[in-house]
Amino acid sequence: MPIVELQNIRKVYDTKVAVEGLTLSIEPGTMFGLLGPNGSGKTSSIRMMIGMTVPDSGTVRLFDKPFARTSLHKVGYLPEERGLYKKMKVLDQLIFLGQLHGLDEATARKRSIAWCERMEITEAIAKKTEELSKGMQQKIQFIAALLHEPDLIIMDEPFSGLDPVNATLLMDTLVSLRTEGKAILFSTHRMDQVEKLCDSIALISRGKLLLSGSMRAIKAEYPRNRLQVSFTGDDTFLRHGGIAEFKNYSGIAEIKLHSEAEAQQILAEAIANGTHINRFEVMEPTLEEIFIENVRASFGDEEAGGRVLA
Amino acid sequence: MHNIWLIAKREYTERIRTKGFIIATVLIPTLMGGGIFAATALANHSKTGSHIAVVTSQPQPATDLKQQLENGKDTTMTVDILPPLPEITKALDKQMDDKKLDGYLVIHQDTQPATYDFTPRSSADIATSTAVKDGLQSAIQREYLTQHGASSSEIDAFTQPIKLNIVGKGGKTDARTSFIVAYILFFLMYMVVLMYGMNVARSIIEEKTSRIFEVLLATIKPQELLAGKILGVGAVGLTQVGVWMIAAAGIATYAGAMSNVSISATQAIFFIIYFALGYSLYSSVAAALGAMTNSEQELQQLNMFLMMPLFFCMLMIGPLVSNPNSTLSRIVSQIPFCAPLLMNFRISLSMPQPWEIALSIALILVTIYIVLSISSRIYRVGILMYGKKPNLPEILRWLKYS
Repeated sequence: MPIVELQNIRKVYDTKVAVEGLTLSIEPGTMFGLLGPNGSGKTSSIRMMIGMTVPDSGTVRLFDKPFARTSLHKVGYLPEERGLYKKMKVLDQLIFLGQLHGLDEATARKRSIAWCERMEITEAIAKKTEELSKGMQQKIQFIAALLHEPDLIIMDEPFSGLDPVNATLLMDTLVSLRTEGKAILFSTHRMDQVEKLCDSIALISRGKLLLSGSMRAIKAEYPRNRLQVSFTGDDTFLRHGGIAEFKNYSGIAEIKLHSEAEAQQILAEAIANGTHINRFEVMEPTLEEIFIENVRASFGDEEAGGRVLA
Repeated sequence: MHNIWLIAKREYTERIRTKGFIIATVLIPTLMGGGIFAATALANHSKTGSHIAVVTSQPQPATDLKQQLENGKDTTMTVDILPPLPEITKALDKQMDDKKLDGYLVIHQDTQPATYDFTPRSSADIATSTAVKDGLQSAIQREYLTQHGASSSEIDAFTQPIKLNIVGKGGKTDARTSFIVAYILFFLMYMVVLMYGMNVARSIIEEKTSRIFEVLLATIKPQELLAGKILGVGAVGLTQVGVWMIAAAGIATYAGAMSNVSISATQAIFFIIYFALGYSLYSSVAAALGAMTNSEQELQQLNMFLMMPLFFCMLMIGPLVSNPNSTLSRIVSQIPFCAPLLMNFRISLSMPQPWEIALSIALILVTIYIVLSISSRIYRVGILMYGKKPNLPEILRWLKYS
């Protein structure tokens, strides 16, 4: 039973097509990455998923039922634009947001305190939101999205602006929620996080779906023609004929091959030349490479450069 | 409904806790009360206690004047009567420079008619000169009447100021006090409708800039958010007006100064009805303005849409006062944007026909419905639009979005 099912949804603002024919589904217990360059329609798609806007055509199903506002009590949403009432006390704020999600006051209070302990921000409970650091505010909002124990958690750029310690804390929390069987959708530009966390991904650009499916299936579509070599000494093996292109970061080389078969020959040549190999790994292209390649293709190369890398 | 209640409750509790609200609620009655006390105190103090000299060759009317000024109703002055010695004015001038004297009066009874020259120490001391003038007038009248054989009690009865009582139709209310009340209520409503209408707009902008909308709209409908906000802010307004009214009643009973200015139950009930209607109407407009703009500055440019009809109401006070039941008065008090202020004003002045009141309420309700349906559409789209201020065609397009 998919938790979210989008069927061919389309949304047009004035003359701009925000989302065009998007179809995807998210299963329970999965971590789903929604990827795409800035302005590609990620937020528009998420807004339609939770009924903030209505698609011009296509259908949205939540929890295997046609979209209904009552289902929203089972959805937790962390928007990309962080927002809290600045002048409100943290605990009051969490209770208020919990109540809006259908909790009674006592439960909301109890869970708020428990979550603040889990997120290591107990000292913030009695403070006003405006007195907190940005990272803390982000954690508060993260808590607000989870207070009502939603079955579907939607997070737009959840880790942006957090230091590595806090980002890891949030990531670990999300991972443990997934093992509890919740479906988690998050959007991000950070491909390393997606690679580490996500079971499935969808890549959209200019409102259209470019790729979707399980991470493994997507990667399997690409040849294992990438080499990562950590070495010391002679680097003449980098000029082997089987290498299409390479980058040498003083001792760590990222190599793209014409075909997977040439990897062994290169290893043999390097050893023959007396190069000392510390690590030699044959891999699929990274998600980042897949991302850039697909987005470039969707824009046409020149235009892509600035927009993707920005 | 539950969500509307939650939003309204949050809006209410957060607002009444702010310093601004507490200060305005406490300070305005304090200032009002303080002002009334100060005015009363000043009125008592303004009994002139000056020390003057009268230079005259004859005992009358100087003796009567002395009597008047030293023991008069509004004066407790000290008066010296001096004979017109040569160089006396120089001596008196000297005394004034030494601040021993506040002025002197020279009576020349040899001229026809007699002339009275008063030299005050400060030409700004109008109270003393007025007292001297009134005292002289009354002393001369008394002297003349006494000469013609009138007894002292006859003179008192004759010179008694006439008190003109202004009585309303049917002899019930004092029309002058109801007029004052009408004014007070008009400006109170004007102020509160405008202030709390703008508060709705400001609160929307605040939520827009803090981006909290994204979180709220993930669970509740924009219409619920708007309804909760208008109710919550309106309740704060009513609380404030309520506190003020109770304070005003307290001051009035304590000071007794306003005891003849009382607000009748009818006036209070209609005030609350028209306040609720007027506030709903104006805050619906303000909600649309708030949703269209991104900052207080941008809002300032648009708030003329709120100010203009209110200002028009103010201009209409004149014609309404001079003739509350003229055709013009009847028409302007039916315009929905003016009716809350003007119909309520007419009710305080002279009760309009019941059908006029009913019609005005019905028209306001219809207008609220129309305005609210338009502004909730603008609100729904506008609150998620950041950045550029929309132009009119864009706003018209918003109305068509689903």
